[in-house]
Amino acid sequence: MSTFLISVGIGLATAAILALSAVAFTLEYAVSRVANFAHGELLTIGAYAAYSGQRLFHQNVGAAALLAAGAGLVAGLAMNAGLIEQFRGRSATTVFIATLGASLVLQNLIEMIYGAADVSYSFTQGGLHHVGPFLWTTSNIEVIISALAVAGLIYLLLQHTRFGKAVRAVSQDRALAQVSGIPARRVVMGTWALAGAIAGFAGFTLADTIGTFGPGLGFSFLLLTITATVAGGIGRPYATLGGALLVGLVIQVAGTYTNSSYQEVWAFGLLVLLMLFRPNGLFVRRSATAVRA
Amino acid sequence: MSTPVLQIENLSKSFGGIRAVHDCSFAVGQGQVLGLIGPNGAGKSTVVDLVSGFGRPDAGSIRLAGQELVGMRPDVISRLGLIRTFQTPREWRGLTVMDNVLLARRKFGRESLWRCLTRAGRLRREEEPDRVQARAILDRFQLTELKNARAGTLSGGQKRLLEFARIAAADPRLVVLDEPMGGVNPVLGAQIRDAVRQFAAAGRAVVVVEHNLPFIEKTCDEVVVMDLGEVIAQGAFGGLRGNPRVVDAYLGMDLSHD
Amino acid sequence: MYWVSIVTEAGIFAILALGLDMVWGWAGDFDLAFYGYLALGSYMTMVLTIGKPVPPVSYIIGWRLPYPLALLLAVAAVVALAAVIGAIALRNLREIYFAVTTLSAVSALYLFVENYTPLFDGYNGVYGLINPGQTLFNLTYNGYRIVFLGAVLVLLVVVYLLVSRLSGSPFGRMLRSIREDEHAAAAYGRGVFSAKYRAYLFGAALAGLAGGLFAVFISAFNPSAWTPQEILVIYAAILVGGRGNPLGVVAGVFAVYIGFIELTRFLPSPASRPEFGPALRQVLIGLLIILVLKFRPEGLFRERLSRDRRQQ
Repeated sequence: MSTFLISVGIGLATAAILALSAVAFTLEYAVSRVANFAHGELLTIGAYAAYSGQRLFHQNVGAAALLAAGAGLVAGLAMNAGLIEQFRGRSATTVFIATLGASLVLQNLIEMIYGAADVSYSFTQGGLHHVGPFLWTTSNIEVIISALAVAGLIYLLLQHTRFGKAVRAVSQDRALAQVSGIPARRVVMGTWALAGAIAGFAGFTLADTIGTFGPGLGFSFLLLTITATVAGGIGRPYATLGGALLVGLVIQVAGTYTNSSYQEVWAFGLLVLLMLFRPNGLFVRRSATAVRA
Repeated sequence: MSTPVLQIENLSKSFGGIRAVHDCSFAVGQGQVLGLIGPNGAGKSTVVDLVSGFGRPDAGSIRLAGQELVGMRPDVISRLGLIRTFQTPREWRGLTVMDNVLLARRKFGRESLWRCLTRAGRLRREEEPDRVQARAILDRFQLTELKNARAGTLSGGQKRLLEFARIAAADPRLVVLDEPMGGVNPVLGAQIRDAVRQFAAAGRAVVVVEHNLPFIEKTCDEVVVMDLGEVIAQGAFGGLRGNPRVVDAYLGMDLSHD
Repeated sequence: MYWVSIVTEAGIFAILALGLDMVWGWAGDFDLAFYGYLALGSYMTMVLTIGKPVPPVSYIIGWRLPYPLALLLAVAAVVALAAVIGAIALRNLREIYFAVTTLSAVSALYLFVENYTPLFDGYNGVYGLINPGQTLFNLTYNGYRIVFLGAVLVLLVVVYLLVSRLSGSPFGRMLRSIREDEHAAAAYGRGVFSAKYRAYLFGAALAGLAGGLFAVFISAFNPSAWTPQEILVIYAAILVGGRGNPLGVVAGVFAVYIGFIELTRFLPSPASRPEFGPALRQVLIGLLIILVLKFRPEGLFRERLSRDRRQQ
């Protein structure tokens, strides 16, 4: 079996987690117009919630995953009410700096509670399986399948429910949505709950896939998330999935053929290139009206 | 008339397949005020952006006193003697009114980092004549009392006046005004009209994009009418009333009021 | 000696903060790469002064230059790096796009330094006492610490005077006009990129200078001694003191460093959990950023307006 296909296989698993995280990030952006730098901590909270619960649930992976999503949901709601809504109407950079501050707070609170040392789950990764040309562990497969399922659910939710329609309206223009009778505040809350749950679940899958993790788990995944989001086009949930696929594959394949500790350096290089040439995303035409000075 | 101050020829620009400006040509001479009118979406603001370098035309030529501007950055075009405004006043909010006017004096040589580090005292002395001039200009626009206030704290009307004070301080060859009458009351309107006429009397050229037709009629020597990106008529305001294409473009609007 | 050490550190970070404030406070660009510039300044100063590496340690250069010359070269290296990052990030990127790009640049630098051992010995880092002038004046260790503090404070005063002169100059005014509205600034003839770029390089040079002083202060530098996130403490200090006001920036750094270090010194830190105290300090820094942004975004000392006193 070729090294290339193995790395593509791992890349797909990475991409699945990245897709979850990036979709949550882009949902937060869509309704609140904020690049949430405390997004990584939603993942970390999910990961540690599952860690706390794993003994309780006797190795039940499904229950741990649900607990992670639940913790993420609560954290997402709290983040919206306690931070984002407090800074409504302030400049984008101000809100962004506030989320950076929140990231610092949460990351270190987790460190105070759980300690700085890495921890790990006691779930098994399961055996290796050949699926088509790829080689995956059981948990790899679970991650990929659950990511696809979540993506499908989000699609149905956004396209075919009243809530989805309201989310799209609020992301276009919150004030306008409000006057046309959409309960904008509740829709924003709901979106943060959803994004938090997805992020919490993503944090669990990320921690489970990496093996050992610490309080910096989410923050170090944040730049990859942003890279995937920007590749897709910020605020566009479906395009984000494509961005995640691209970034997951690029870092795995490039990392396999160079030194694996430079994996993330590739992602950052990719991000800089994207920022320079396609800041609106790979899948959209260049913004036509942008005035450059 | 010798070389026009601004000469636009066959200017075109599309955004994603939509023709914003198509094959536009007109010219403005020294001491002349040219009105650029047309319904919403006619392409007037795009012309302003293209002329001032905030957008790049797909085709055509823009010359300022004979010099081709296409391809130049906005700051370079500005340094050649063109000042444009934006639809809403764009003062530097966090700076004082006085600083806003001093910045408009555009003494770029004094803004060198090195000179500012090593020749601070001398620069301050050099700036004194500009301060004197700035004070006179502020006086002319009734902003003297507010000279040390943050520009962001001014009222809408005062911001318009500051806009004109900045243009007066910059003393450019060509002024391009993008809807200077937006949100302006009649008293202030008369003041703005006087300011525009004064620029022209001092031998500068002015282009005004405006929806307010009485203002255009009273202020402009010549009018260019645009619709759907094209110039559909050109000439003195009075002569346009009978033009069927203009009436068509302005369907439902009253051109005859005064 | 405890106080000498704290004040020295605050003085060094005040120089860094004055440089960063030119970029964020005056030009309005929220940069996250600046701690990388401090780090590079430190590493470069070390490898230029501590001599050849002894295997298995490995690092580049390994000269024994006189300290002032090494400092100068280190600053030049930092400016060169900032010239590359600035050229990429400042041209068209603003606000969060700028912040994210500079963060990814410094993260890439961090990972590279950590993993590529031939550069600065990777995770182990470089170390070596560089006490410029200690033998020359025949000082004891403690005596030297005090002299070094004096040198840092003198440099801080010089840097402060230069920066506040620039702040009130036409250059500072022009830069702030770009921060307030760069389209209007361009419409009045300002080359937006070149102005921002000049401020960025000047600020980075100050970060490099701070890094060179920091090398003497801690006499060892490795990836566990710095992370890109640490720039947030400097931002907290600038916010508290007053963005855009050089005096406020210096005051903010001293307040945050001395205030926080003093306050948190008495916090419980159980022996079994040595990370507890530092983590709590970070929590407080984060809270400070959020609260100042929410309730007093202009800081203790508001940006000074130039006043024109002359009557007509």
